Amino acid sequence: MGTTFTKSMARNIFYGGSVFFFLLFIALTVDTTKALPKRDNSQNITAEVERGKKVWETNNCIGCHTLLGEGAYFAPELGNVYKRRGGDEGGAEFIKEWIKMQPLNIPGRRKMPQFHLTDQELDDLVAFLKYASEINTEKWPPNIEG
Amino acid sequence: MQYKSQAVAKPYFIAAIGLFVGQILFGLIMGLQYVMGDFLFPAIPFNIARMVHTNLLIVWLLFGFMGAAYYLIPEETENELYSPKLAIITFWIFLIAGALTIVGYLLVPYARLAEFTGNNILATMGREFLEQPLVTKIGIVIVALSFLFNICMTLLKGRKTSISLVLVLGLLGLAVFFLFSFYNPSNLVLDKYYWWWVVHLWVEGVWELILGAILAFVLIKVTGVDREVIEKWLYVIVTMTLITGIIGTGHHYYWIGTPEYWQWWGSVFSALEPIPFFMMTIFAFNMVNRRRREHPNKAAVLWALGTGVLAFLGAGVWGFLHTLAPVNYYTHGTQMTASHGHLAFYGAYVCVVITMISYAMPILRGRAANSNTAQVVEMWSFWLMSVSIVFITLFLTAAGIVQVWLQRYSDTPMAFMAVQDKAAIFYWMREGAGVIFLIGLVTYIASFFIKGETKAAA
Amino acid sequence: MTTDARNQYEGLPGDFAIWIFILAEMLAFGVLFVAYAFARAHDVALFNASQETLNRTFGAINTMVLITSSYFVVRAVNAIKCDLSRDCAWWLGMAWLLGAVFISIKCVEFYDKFSAGITLSTNSFYMFYLALTFFHFMHVLMGMIILAVVIVKARRGGYSSRDHTGVETAASFWHMVDLLWIILFPLIYVIR
Repeated sequence: MGTTFTKSMARNIFYGGSVFFFLLFIALTVDTTKALPKRDNSQNITAEVERGKKVWETNNCIGCHTLLGEGAYFAPELGNVYKRRGGDEGGAEFIKEWIKMQPLNIPGRRKMPQFHLTDQELDDLVAFLKYASEINTEKWPPNIEG
Repeated sequence: MQYKSQAVAKPYFIAAIGLFVGQILFGLIMGLQYVMGDFLFPAIPFNIARMVHTNLLIVWLLFGFMGAAYYLIPEETENELYSPKLAIITFWIFLIAGALTIVGYLLVPYARLAEFTGNNILATMGREFLEQPLVTKIGIVIVALSFLFNICMTLLKGRKTSISLVLVLGLLGLAVFFLFSFYNPSNLVLDKYYWWWVVHLWVEGVWELILGAILAFVLIKVTGVDREVIEKWLYVIVTMTLITGIIGTGHHYYWIGTPEYWQWWGSVFSALEPIPFFMMTIFAFNMVNRRRREHPNKAAVLWALGTGVLAFLGAGVWGFLHTLAPVNYYTHGTQMTASHGHLAFYGAYVCVVITMISYAMPILRGRAANSNTAQVVEMWSFWLMSVSIVFITLFLTAAGIVQVWLQRYSDTPMAFMAVQDKAAIFYWMREGAGVIFLIGLVTYIASFFIKGETKAAA
Repeated sequence: MTTDARNQYEGLPGDFAIWIFILAEMLAFGVLFVAYAFARAHDVALFNASQETLNRTFGAINTMVLITSSYFVVRAVNAIKCDLSRDCAWWLGMAWLLGAVFISIKCVEFYDKFSAGITLSTNSFYMFYLALTFFHFMHVLMGMIILAVVIVKARRGGYSSRDHTGVETAASFWHMVDLLWIILFPLIYVIR
């Protein structure tokens, strides 16, 4: 390696390179933020959806399930569960009944706790899951099974 | 030990190892729940166990980083720590806050915990890895600030080496990016977008600076190679890390509602992400081969080399396996991700923290290195843990392939739970490997209690 | 012509670190070029149609501008090898000015596209067009910063025929920026 390769040069490249790429990242972030309204279904974020997101969060659903592929891998993907369980024809009813039924009495099967959600909370959660299922995710997941 | 105040590192290291044991125990519980759904239900549901498992990992690594910084900074800056007392106070605050949080997770239903701890004032809970109650998050910020204050004051009045600068930059970045955990918009896409600013920019960004600095420090000590050479390498490695890793965040923006172009940005830059890890492997071996002294602490050298190899395998190779958008389309959110996560965290961060502990702990206990017997036991623990984590990774990869094949790629896709049954054999084998990992960890702890002939402190 | 004795052995002009950097840059751009080729093969018609909307005259002028500035940089390196500090600074200054011309033309071009409502999300072609040219644009800016630093030092007589690694380092970076454009221009503006 050349003797001219000094430490101070390496340091300058480190600082210059990092700042350079961070600025590029910021630029892409700005563009993404501008492009999002066309894709993120934010026009459908109602008060119900907002409350539903909180129900989702305060019961730590992400600790077992994935949402748009992120979370734990112990239980099914829920980003598209509204559509998987019938969409506007019965999706809401299925999800609510399912949550109320837990835990299922099947020995050995993975267990979902009973969260004692109120009817209002269940409706909010369904609204949130419906909203999530309508985000443009570039056709992910590959099929309805998630 | 050259400086008295380095001694504050000791409780940090002990706490780190203690929490590490907790993490592994909860990992074993979860592993069993994968195949025996009734195990410990409803006492410890899976989501709670997982939260404890991942949060303990983060907290013990933070303890490890802090301990490493408290040990390393006085020696690098050539003066005593600004305030050893503050370091000890911070230690207890962090430990108690961490313990209370874990107890809260285990004893109080999560929704109730959220209510008690002010989640209604500012909702930040219930997002993967950032499940901590608001008060704990604020506590983490306070601890981080007092820690950084202590480190920076020490740095300001002493010698400023490249290693300490890179370390402090990494720690600063850690604190700054954690602030994004307080941002939780109701727009799920934005929420996820900035959630990665904490998670990705930590583990594939600033944490790698910390990793590089710690590794460089230990390598200088155990090989005696010229500081100029090692620090030059350090700069080149962290440069490559950041120029690939920052835009590499894009590999998380494929399917969460962000624009399509991230598939290109993410694929291109994360395809380059293995480079810094490969350089780190070359670096570690190169320095050890060019060593100018035979350091009596062979175990620390082994851990350092292990960091290089396993970080490259876990973060580099296993990351690359599923990082390209067309591949990730099928693997996203499967056990493939879990397999990569396990080996990457172990290889990069667990190994580097133990490297530091392995090097520093004997010195903190008044000797240059442990006795030969103790070192042999420690090396056994390295091999037990490393080989078993590699097998955990392989089994999870197999489970991931089963998932992709039956649930995603097939013309007649099967339902999630049906596919999980098909993969059960791999989950059982993973649990077996996990038990061996625990044996390795117990062996590691045992090595601290083995006496024998030791050399005097350097 | 007097050459730095050290460099005769090293083979590479300028600081070695800049060559590592240049290699990394070439790799990143190389992967992006390959990605472009893949994306284009996927939808040739769209790429050809969108390419029509680019201003090739601007592109061609900018190519000439950068090649000329590269030549000026060569003159600057030659000047410093003969201990002509002021000449060196003058040639570098001219190169810097041409860099500024490049930036101005590019800005007009970007303004044109943005006011036409084109963004990264319009289609794959524009994604690559904007990404690659903007990425390169930032490199030109970076190169101008480096040149400016070297100019200031050269004017103060900071370099000589014996010690001019700084000038060669800046020159190497500038040539790389030029070279990247020479690949970029035909690839995105011309080849169809």
